[in-house]
Amino acid sequence: MSHATTVIEARGLTKTYRNGAAEVRALQDVDFAAQQGEFVVVLGPSGSGKSTFLNILGGIDRATSGAVLFAGQDITTFNEQALTRYRRDHVGFVFQFYNLVPSLTALENVALVTEIAANPMRPEEALDIVGLSARHGHFPAQLSGGEQQRVAIARAIAKRPDLLFCDEPTGALDSATGVLVLEALVEANRSTGATTLIITHNAGIQQIADRTLRFADGRIVDELRNATRKRPDQVSW
Amino acid sequence: MVIPPLRRKALRDLRRLWAQALAIGLVLAAGVATLILGNGAHRALSDTRDRYYADYRFADLFSDVVRAPLALVDDIRAIDGVIQVEPRIVKLARPEIAGLAEPASVLLVSLPAQLGLNQLHLRKGRLPQPGTANEAVVSQDFATAHGLQTGTRLTVVMNGKRRALSITGIALSPEFIYALGPGEMMPDARRFGVVWLPRPALEQAFDLKGTFSNLVLRLAPGMPEQRVIAALDRITAPFGGGGATGRGDQLSHAFLDAELKQLGAMVKVLPPIFLLVAAMLVHMTLSRLITLEREQIGLLKAIGYTPRQIAGHYLEFVLLIAAGGILVGFAAGAWLGAGLAQLYARFFSFPFLVFGTDPRVYGLAALVTALAATAGALQSLRSVLALPPAVAMAPPAPADYRGRRPGVFRAIPMRQTGRMVARHLWHWPIRTASSVLGMAMAVAILVASLWSFGSIDHMIHVTFGLAERQDAKMVFTTPEPMRAVADLRHMPGVMVAEPFRIIPAKLVNGPRSKRVAVEGRPADARLSRVLSPDLRPMPMPDTGLILSEALAEALALRSGDRVEVRFLDGRRSVVNLPVSGISVGFMGLGATMELSALSRAAGEGALISGANLMLDATAAPDFFAAAAAAPKTGFLNVTDLTVSRFRATLAENITLMITVYVTLAAIIAMGVVYNFSRIALSEQGRELASLRVLGFTRTEVASVILLELAVVVLLAQPLGWLIGHGIGLAMVAAFSSDLYRVPFVMGREVYATASLIVLGAAVLSALAIRGRIDRLDLIAVLKTRE
Repeated sequence: MSHATTVIEARGLTKTYRNGAAEVRALQDVDFAAQQGEFVVVLGPSGSGKSTFLNILGGIDRATSGAVLFAGQDITTFNEQALTRYRRDHVGFVFQFYNLVPSLTALENVALVTEIAANPMRPEEALDIVGLSARHGHFPAQLSGGEQQRVAIARAIAKRPDLLFCDEPTGALDSATGVLVLEALVEANRSTGATTLIITHNAGIQQIADRTLRFADGRIVDELRNATRKRPDQVSW
Repeated sequence: MVIPPLRRKALRDLRRLWAQALAIGLVLAAGVATLILGNGAHRALSDTRDRYYADYRFADLFSDVVRAPLALVDDIRAIDGVIQVEPRIVKLARPEIAGLAEPASVLLVSLPAQLGLNQLHLRKGRLPQPGTANEAVVSQDFATAHGLQTGTRLTVVMNGKRRALSITGIALSPEFIYALGPGEMMPDARRFGVVWLPRPALEQAFDLKGTFSNLVLRLAPGMPEQRVIAALDRITAPFGGGGATGRGDQLSHAFLDAELKQLGAMVKVLPPIFLLVAAMLVHMTLSRLITLEREQIGLLKAIGYTPRQIAGHYLEFVLLIAAGGILVGFAAGAWLGAGLAQLYARFFSFPFLVFGTDPRVYGLAALVTALAATAGALQSLRSVLALPPAVAMAPPAPADYRGRRPGVFRAIPMRQTGRMVARHLWHWPIRTASSVLGMAMAVAILVASLWSFGSIDHMIHVTFGLAERQDAKMVFTTPEPMRAVADLRHMPGVMVAEPFRIIPAKLVNGPRSKRVAVEGRPADARLSRVLSPDLRPMPMPDTGLILSEALAEALALRSGDRVEVRFLDGRRSVVNLPVSGISVGFMGLGATMELSALSRAAGEGALISGANLMLDATAAPDFFAAAAAAPKTGFLNVTDLTVSRFRATLAENITLMITVYVTLAAIIAMGVVYNFSRIALSEQGRELASLRVLGFTRTEVASVILLELAVVVLLAQPLGWLIGHGIGLAMVAAFSSDLYRVPFVMGREVYATASLIVLGAAVLSALAIRGRIDRLDLIAVLKTRE
């Protein structure tokens, strides 16, 4: 990894919410950098700031201060239009609750993104990567939770993103299904080379990552690099 | 006072959803207001007329004679059912008014006896002294039109002699609410008025001492007037009478009745539709609004509230909205109704206005509205309350888009966002259909409110552009021999003169009969023409009659049938004539014959009643001056004046009502469109926010929901036109009377205007929605469940 290039970098990232009279510091002076293709797991209790961190890196929330550098540009200075462009071309999102469009089939949900992306793969190819080749024509209502999440992953990677951000992707799933989803994410990371950040409550998942960050009170309090990565089916939940 | 938490929640929810609540409330208010105002105005005018008639002893029967001895009155009083008889002298005369180009006429009426019939309501001054010959009371509109005050003088040419009358009072009469000059289609206060004089003055002027020329009678309540008319006609026939009429044929009453009938039609047809549309929309909107509250309902259940308490809470919420709408509707309806009634009352010259409210109308409006709102809320509450709390709080499973052949859209090449819209509309056919229907009703009520303008234009075009093309119509004081036309042709400015003869007659077909004026005209008349229903001039038949559609319908006659004609003038012959054709006609009941055929049928020589004239516009003032000076001139109808009076009258009546309706319809249209878009946004907000996160621009995301709105709005247009067309047809049927037949002319511009208003509402709603899409909370999407 030492020769790999830095894809995204956060410097002194701070986020303050005003909640009535009280000031809530969600992020406090966070520094972070990720290399191309790196697989990072972000751990931490609720309210520790990890989702805020991911949202700012993903361009759907704004920092109070600090910088986020992507391809030499500070995205915290972007206007709404530029942020949309950034998400559209470079970022793939996977959410805890899948957020599929119920009126579109698995293939069409993926095509939703490939239609607007600059350099997408074919939607079939993306579904192939997550192991859902046989489910192209199914609507979300016809798919299990795990399958829906894998469609969401296919949708996120179909644009060949530089960054893949997943917020609790296995949070709503049982362990067996969760393993399948993690396998899909590992495969997506491998085949697309997208730098992958996964937020989870599940400490076991850290063993599949190159690196683990631990958040508490809006700061990165611990950072751990795995010498060897486990396969998802070797992880205990 | 402690406000229970659920009530606090209801109030806060109301504040949170204020824009939607306002839109729903306004729709309701518009529906309620329409019902209240229409009914209120109609009721006020009917009540006022009834009171006016009763208080001023308006007669039940009217009969003209040429000259009958006063001794006859005792015979008439003896007719069974007659409780009061008032013999009068009624004569037409010509006033001399400086500055008035076209000759005017006044009806001279002998003053009613004390406690007599058709009492006057004095607005100013006093009644003439009984014995005086030169004091008079003048009708208010005529006085106003010429600035006549009490104490001023009015010169009137009576029976060829000029007399200067001193005006002692200005008055109104229930007999002349609608003061129509002879042969006129529309009241023109400048050119026609009523002057009341003490009887001796008229006896002297017209050499009618000890006689009368007109009778008015009051009948015992519930007395069938036909029997009395028959008996009266037998008595008066030897004295030139025989054509007695009931109130139904009394000109002022008949016109007022037609007006009230039109108003009644607008009250009976449109407002219930408005109210139902509003109720339907509120039902749909609230039911969808409650469905969106699913999670909160689950939560309330989970923490221990009973279904009854929860239902109570949401009912309170919807009833707060409904109550707001109803109250605003009440206030707006009562205010607009009173305003409208006042305008009408002024137009009809009522001396007072009885404005009562009918609590039943208010109750009905409130009930329909509250029921619709409650039913809408309960419908969705029931389905949500049936769910276990945990299920209700969990996001609903993704809608299942299998079935309903979703595949049909797979084959069609389109963007995925287009596919989303298509499947969404296709998958919820009832919801889509109800949205389309709701918008269609908004279009329909606009179409139904707007169509009459085109119809009025058509009426004017056909009547004055195609049929009555003369510049003026001269009517002689008494029938003249045919050579009088030649004299007319020599008057200044007259370019063409076409004679006509008018003889009053009763047309009888079995049990049906109608009193009409049969008009004879030359076979080659070119100024005043009779038109077939396809608007082509009809040739005059050799012997038969041409009846207007309204008359043919009233008598149940068709072309080829025969009809008995009892002439009520001259030799009073009774003949049986064929119906040779049916003509178009929107005003009055028309029966026409060839001029010489009419003379033969009536058993008289070649007489004419007057002539239709084409004038040289530059010489018109000379003509009017000559006509005013000519002793033969009975009265003169000027077409241009009639058309402008016609337009003004309709503008004051129909236009006013329609303007109010169009405004309310536009409010409803706005409310519908805004609510549909807002709910669509609430239902799909999560999907749309997801699209934003995936990198869709605001415009791309907005286009998803706006496309759906556009499809619904566009689908609604033809359906709305169709429904509006149907409502218009129902209104035409309700409008028709013997005096008016409103043609049903639905121009494309009506559809276009209705659609433009709804599209305008859609665009405004789209802009409001667009703002909300721009402010979608992207992070909330990641955190919250569906």
